[in-house]
Amino acid sequence: MLGGYLGPLVIIALNLVGATIAGVAGRLVRVSVLLTLPIAISVVLVSVFTRAGTTVLFTIGPFDATAEGVDFAAQTLVRLLAIALSIGLFGMTTDPRAFVLDLERRRLSPRFAFVALATLEAVPAMVERAGVIQASQRARGLDTEGSLRARVRGVVPLAGPVILSSLTEVEERSLALEVRAFGRPGRRHLLWRNPDSTAQLVARAALLLLLVGSIVGKVTGAFPQTP
Amino acid sequence: MLELKGVSYRYAGYAKAVLQEVDLTLADGEIVGLVGPNEAGKSTLCLVAAGLAPASIKGALTGTLTIDGEPMAGRKTHELASRVVVGFQNPNTQRSGIAATVFEEVALGPQNLGLDVPEIVERTRTAMALLRIEAIQLRDPARLSGGQAQLVAIAALLAMRPRHVILDEPTAQLDPAGTRLVGEALRQLAAGGTSLLIAEHKTDLLDGVCSRIVAIDGGRIALDGPAGDVLADPRLDALGVQPPSRVRLQRAIDEAGIDPRTAAAAAQAMAAVA
Amino acid sequence: MIVVEDLVHVYPGGTRAVDGVSLRIEAGERVAIVGQNGSGKSTLVRHFNGLLRPTQGRVLVDGVDAATLRVAELAAKVGLAFQDPDRQIFSGKVRSEVAFGPRNMGLAKDQVTSRVDEALAAAGLSDDADANPYDLGYSRRKLLALASILAMRTPVVVLDEPTTGQDARGVARVEEIVGGLAELGRTVVAISHDMAFVAESFERIIVMRDGRVILDGTPTEVFAESSWTELASSYLEPPLAARVGARMEVGATPTEASLVAALTARAGSAIRTEGPAAR
Repeated sequence: MLGGYLGPLVIIALNLVGATIAGVAGRLVRVSVLLTLPIAISVVLVSVFTRAGTTVLFTIGPFDATAEGVDFAAQTLVRLLAIALSIGLFGMTTDPRAFVLDLERRRLSPRFAFVALATLEAVPAMVERAGVIQASQRARGLDTEGSLRARVRGVVPLAGPVILSSLTEVEERSLALEVRAFGRPGRRHLLWRNPDSTAQLVARAALLLLLVGSIVGKVTGAFPQTP
Repeated sequence: MLELKGVSYRYAGYAKAVLQEVDLTLADGEIVGLVGPNEAGKSTLCLVAAGLAPASIKGALTGTLTIDGEPMAGRKTHELASRVVVGFQNPNTQRSGIAATVFEEVALGPQNLGLDVPEIVERTRTAMALLRIEAIQLRDPARLSGGQAQLVAIAALLAMRPRHVILDEPTAQLDPAGTRLVGEALRQLAAGGTSLLIAEHKTDLLDGVCSRIVAIDGGRIALDGPAGDVLADPRLDALGVQPPSRVRLQRAIDEAGIDPRTAAAAAQAMAAVA
Repeated sequence: MIVVEDLVHVYPGGTRAVDGVSLRIEAGERVAIVGQNGSGKSTLVRHFNGLLRPTQGRVLVDGVDAATLRVAELAAKVGLAFQDPDRQIFSGKVRSEVAFGPRNMGLAKDQVTSRVDEALAAAGLSDDADANPYDLGYSRRKLLALASILAMRTPVVVLDEPTTGQDARGVARVEEIVGGLAELGRTVVAISHDMAFVAESFERIIVMRDGRVILDGTPTEVFAESSWTELASSYLEPPLAARVGARMEVGATPTEASLVAALTARAGSAIRTEGPAAR
């Protein structure tokens, strides 16, 4: 039974070790749990009660919770967590600009580079804009301090304006980019390069091998199958 | 030379043309000021003169835009970018969002033009020197004040070394010191042969910098002539443009009916301090 | 009305935006705050309505320490119109935008409506009441932001660069609004870079530099030749009228009207001393 858990648990452990070294362990766990929570809840609810199985643990109404269902849900959960932690760790320890520009150095189109970076910028920009809009609303009497109800009330009038002003900015932003020859076909000369240290090269090679090995293992049936 | 002939422009989806029968010429090394009430079409004129309308902003253009003898109809925006640039009021939307430092932000334009690294660096350094922003070249462009961000935005445009520069209210976010700085930079730029079109409300700034002023109202050119003449033209007030302090003060003195000797002395004093 | 005591404000990054400011603004005063970008003007006024809290020192609004009041409570006393209307406006309709403030104050529906109509009229936007704010030009959006604050009828109205980006009609409208507020006995505080606007419409000018107040007085005092070195250190220039008046040695004349008056007086006295024969 541990077979189906081993892989994901190893990945989780590796991620946590890496996160601790990078000093982002606490944040990583919080964010990953928060992000997987919605999916996790629905997965658990569905699998526990609908998975075909023989060992019934308890019953709620017409639904039987089976041990097989719990096992399946648990295996799915650790996989979700492994994925979330991996992506989260990558996001928290990689400077997006360095990453994307390095991709461009390796022949990725500059347009993709831009879209990727702009997407990453989009969220902090929206957060900042939300802060400013909220300040102006508070300055006109919207009470966002004090009771929880007040705080919740403070969020609602924000959603529309933040999105709307973000959208209205998009046209001006893209114009400004076109003025700077953004759409010009062909490659550009990059201002700097980010050379890999030996350790990074070794680590990258090792990870690639692991990836290839995992795919081969899965395809040839060497790894345990999910129930 | 940048030339607009018989230009009318209507935005897609709108019935009314925002610009009507506009003729405008920008000679090399000329600094032309563009004034008019808000919603007269100044911003649209800037976009059309830069070719972005209709190349990027959907709409119907009649008439022609010719830059250095070549018609710009049908050109793609990156082809326009090497010839003419336009700057907008809001420095935040002009920030690319992908530069980690001010230096990289300013270098982005030359980089996009496919220039090699020494050329990129040279153009970036010159542009930063012109706007006196070398001191902040390593700062995060997203963390600058509005005024600093605007100076960076202008430098980023100038780094592309276009022959024609159009600026739509470049000093809107700037304090008096910043405004003077931009005026200085633009004068130097024009001295090097670049032609400039500056849309502004600050007629005092235009008074010191422009050789020619064009006034627009309701999408049509209302006045076009030497700066001194247009700024003193009584029709300017009717257009909703505030004349420069020098003109307003002179009018106040004239209206008060002060005796000719004192009035003459006042005019002399004004010329001396302005 | 507003008392600032040894105010210091340090932003999280370490910037000391306000570095020891003490001043009093009485009810009904019209005060302009000028200075370079970064001199602390915006930071200072944001303490008046609680958007910023002092790092040291305190700010009293109507006798009460602002730090003890929530922003929403202070909003009923101090209205702040942001410099960039697009960071303030969020409604899809002009009318609802202006109604936002009064509604938050818990006013009855008919009261809200009458305030909205009144504020729109003052800003010259009555015809645009049902328009989408983004269909209005920048000038009118700025006036809309102003109207939204006027509708709250706060005793203190703070305007952050009200004439920036405005065309002549917009500037005239702002001047009218300031005059109107003064007539109603409200306190008006404006941040501005426009020295002529400030000299004409305000009775007191505070000049800030590096987080401190370096000049505080009437336009006549602040723009008199004796203050010019201080102004220059802030890269500020007195209005043309003041410079011409100084050059002609007719005294401190910050406004067109005062210069004209001084010149008329001098012309009058010249005629008296030289006699008709000299003309």
